[in-house]
Amino acid sequence: MARVGVFVCFCGANIADFVDVPTVVEEAKKIREVKFAVDYKYMCSDPGQQMIRDAIVQYRLTSIVVAACSPRMHEKTFRKALSDAGMNPYLLEVANIREHSSWVHQKDKKAATEKAGDLVRMAVAKSIANEQLHEISVPVTKRALVIGGGIAGIQAALDIADAHIPVTLVERSPSIGGRMAQLDETFPTLDCSQCILTPKMVDVASHPYIELIPYSEVIELNGYVGNYKAKIRKKASYVNFKTCTGCGTCWQKCPVKVPNEYNMGIDKRKAIYTPFPQAVPNKPVIDAEHCTYLLKGKCGICAKFCEKGSIDFKMQDEVIEREIGAVVVATGYDLWDATPYEEYGVGRYKDIINSLEFERMVSANGPTGGLPIRPSDGKVPKTVVFIKCVGSRDKAKGIEFCSKICCMYTAKHAILLHHKVHDSRAYIFYMDIRAAGKGYEEFVNRAQVETGAVYLRGRVSKIYQKGEKLMVRGEDGQLGREVEVEADLVVLATAIIPYKTNPALAQLLGISYDKYGYLSEAHPKLRPVETAKAGIFLAGCTQAPKDIPDTVAQASACAAKVCGLFAGDTMKKDPMISTVNNEFCSGCQNCVQVCPYQAIVTEEIPLGHGAREMRTVAKINEGVCQGCGSCVAVCRSMAINLAGFTDPQIINEIVAI
Amino acid sequence: MDYSKQIQDIAAKLFADGKIDVFVGYRMNGFDDNQIPVVITDPKEVSTLVFTEKSVFNLSNYLKADHTRNKRAGLVVKGCDSRSLNLLLTESQVKRDRLYIIGIACEGVVDDKGQKMQNCIECIVPDAVVYDEMLGNPQGRKDYIVNADIKALAEKGLVERREYFEEIFENCIRCNACRHSCPLCYCAKCCIDQETASLYNGSNTASSAFHALMTWSLHLAGRCVDCRNCEKACPSHLPLHLLHKQNEKVIFENFQNHLAGVEEGERGAFYKYSLKDPDDFIM
Repeated sequence: MARVGVFVCFCGANIADFVDVPTVVEEAKKIREVKFAVDYKYMCSDPGQQMIRDAIVQYRLTSIVVAACSPRMHEKTFRKALSDAGMNPYLLEVANIREHSSWVHQKDKKAATEKAGDLVRMAVAKSIANEQLHEISVPVTKRALVIGGGIAGIQAALDIADAHIPVTLVERSPSIGGRMAQLDETFPTLDCSQCILTPKMVDVASHPYIELIPYSEVIELNGYVGNYKAKIRKKASYVNFKTCTGCGTCWQKCPVKVPNEYNMGIDKRKAIYTPFPQAVPNKPVIDAEHCTYLLKGKCGICAKFCEKGSIDFKMQDEVIEREIGAVVVATGYDLWDATPYEEYGVGRYKDIINSLEFERMVSANGPTGGLPIRPSDGKVPKTVVFIKCVGSRDKAKGIEFCSKICCMYTAKHAILLHHKVHDSRAYIFYMDIRAAGKGYEEFVNRAQVETGAVYLRGRVSKIYQKGEKLMVRGEDGQLGREVEVEADLVVLATAIIPYKTNPALAQLLGISYDKYGYLSEAHPKLRPVETAKAGIFLAGCTQAPKDIPDTVAQASACAAKVCGLFAGDTMKKDPMISTVNNEFCSGCQNCVQVCPYQAIVTEEIPLGHGAREMRTVAKINEGVCQGCGSCVAVCRSMAINLAGFTDPQIINEIVAI
Repeated sequence: MDYSKQIQDIAAKLFADGKIDVFVGYRMNGFDDNQIPVVITDPKEVSTLVFTEKSVFNLSNYLKADHTRNKRAGLVVKGCDSRSLNLLLTESQVKRDRLYIIGIACEGVVDDKGQKMQNCIECIVPDAVVYDEMLGNPQGRKDYIVNADIKALAEKGLVERREYFEEIFENCIRCNACRHSCPLCYCAKCCIDQETASLYNGSNTASSAFHALMTWSLHLAGRCVDCRNCEKACPSHLPLHLLHKQNEKVIFENFQNHLAGVEEGERGAFYKYSLKDPDDFIM
């Protein structure tokens, strides 16, 4: 005979104001199986938990019902209380009389009390059918996969590797470094981006616990937390990295010129190239789309001049497999294409550039040697107009969100412009100045005071050519008048968007993404680096726009999460997962189709006792199953049961009301 | 529509070539002009096979039985039968390489009184959709017509409708013939028979019959191919098609014109999802 204890919480005034708690207790006492019922101001407090522990012993209770707030809030707390009293923690049921009753029925105390009574009755009925469950242990492969070799991926890989956990770092381009390698100086301290980044890049290459796989991409991920299997395609580089010394003869001799992605297409690179001089690994790859030999079968100059004979035109893409336990996704960002801003003449006027192009120009190792120039005639601009929020915060043409970093880098650009061209003047059109961050406000002030940058609050309505100049017509919102600036160069702070392959990557990994392609975190406040899929974490701009300090912090947070995951040899997992009753399973495999976690496979079992003929039944991979219950819903023969939500439990609940 | 001779020839050839172990077809019942299904293992019995507009039963039902399950079988399917066969293939209940399927371009079958069956008048897919050999002239896909009985039912109010069904289901004797005659009811142990299913079991009260039949119809929703085997089998002559046709209509309208078993490899409406599914109903 079941002996149920019911513990009803006031939750201060949260519940007690709208639910008559003593009445709920009286109602509970009327249930035959309830041997003890009591109320308390805060059940989750230590004295409240002590009441539960004492009652379990004193009344020899077999299951516990706590009528309080949402189980999301305190289910774990109360389960622990049960454990402490020597009871199986899964014999607990939480009746949510706060969110489900007091908060939603504030106008009718009587009805709220009645509903609270019903919820308690249901929970008692369910708890009677509760079974003792035990946490599942899943073995862990202690190796992390980091996707993306920008600053986020580099930081995550280094932090994980420093904990003596092997890391596989996959980077799509020939070198790690990412966007940060393209930057000149960084806000708010103006230290040189390359100077702080390249030592980390070298660390990655030389770290004994990091396996760097450049020029490759993840094409498949199977398995579950702690036990993933990743397939990585290494794109053919046509260069044998083992023998290549990176001497550079090949790319000096190569006759093919291709727009240089690293310099935003401002200058040219060769068909065999390293993206930039500080590249890690500093080995060239051949761009198969442009190499004359690979396209037409003639040329081969690089192979002729290579002393080591490292050029191998017959090289093929190679697929390698790695067993890993956790994944950090750090695929970074791209710039939004500003073409929809027709009134700015984007694409029509050569002297309108985006901020990354400006960044490359003012970079010491950039295509112009650090001097900003007008793309149309190569002259040094004296008046530069910066336009912020191009695409950002613009529902009509671009995207709703704020790109977060543009206010700061535009202030930086104003300072850099002043440093490079002393007699220049920057005009900055802005909507708001968002400079929240340590030293950020001061930095913007510095741009305004030190460089004399003119901040104009307003949108630009039109840009048109007048002789050599670009006329920028906009609004000065503070003075309430129209302004027109005669500019030599216009720099657009275009919105930042996630890398275009993000949705495909998210589908491959089985994680969710938003309408822009940003990967979704599990909880915006409390689980900002986890995804909804256990063992997959997010770092950097793949999740949302963010600056370098935030990116590095998030990457280190990912590393902490990975290290935590790998702390033991096995992982504990919630036992509330599905199980298949083979006897009832007819092998229709509808559950296989609807499982969002690919946790269901099939197995062959004998048709009957001693039978040689086999039949197919479903099998749940307990490491992967998250207990969502989709399979239970589609199983017509009720062969699948979800522990903690079995049919007897649910039917008891239904019958109780 | 008489393909008896052709079917006899094909079956004889299949047996002679050693391609099949059993043949599932129709024969005369021996006392009137109606037919019954027959499972032939002896090539000599091939001459008893017939196929006319009196061949009403859905033979794919006989593939789930033990005497055919793991054997190489030949069988005859009309349009509706082939759709249920398609679903059995998709749901891994039979293996395609063990089957030799004679598809019929069906012109409709008749009931005891010689009247064309209602489901044949409304038939959307008269030609077999899965077959090795086709007999007759294919007629192509027809338009979806909402069943007249369903239209009449829709005019009743909610309470009235419920009362109507409760009254009908009072006649149910819980013999489960509907389930046994349905090709798509192949579960190892039906949920209705399980100990935990207290809603359905117990005596044959109107309530238990109501719940059992409603559950049954929902388990066939998006899968039922409207072959009416259940109605033919029901000793109480319950209008079971009302349940299925109503589900079919709702699913046709809300699941992108879904028709069960028409496409090869396509699952029932409730057992598949795609990223392209409409989601405008989500708030």
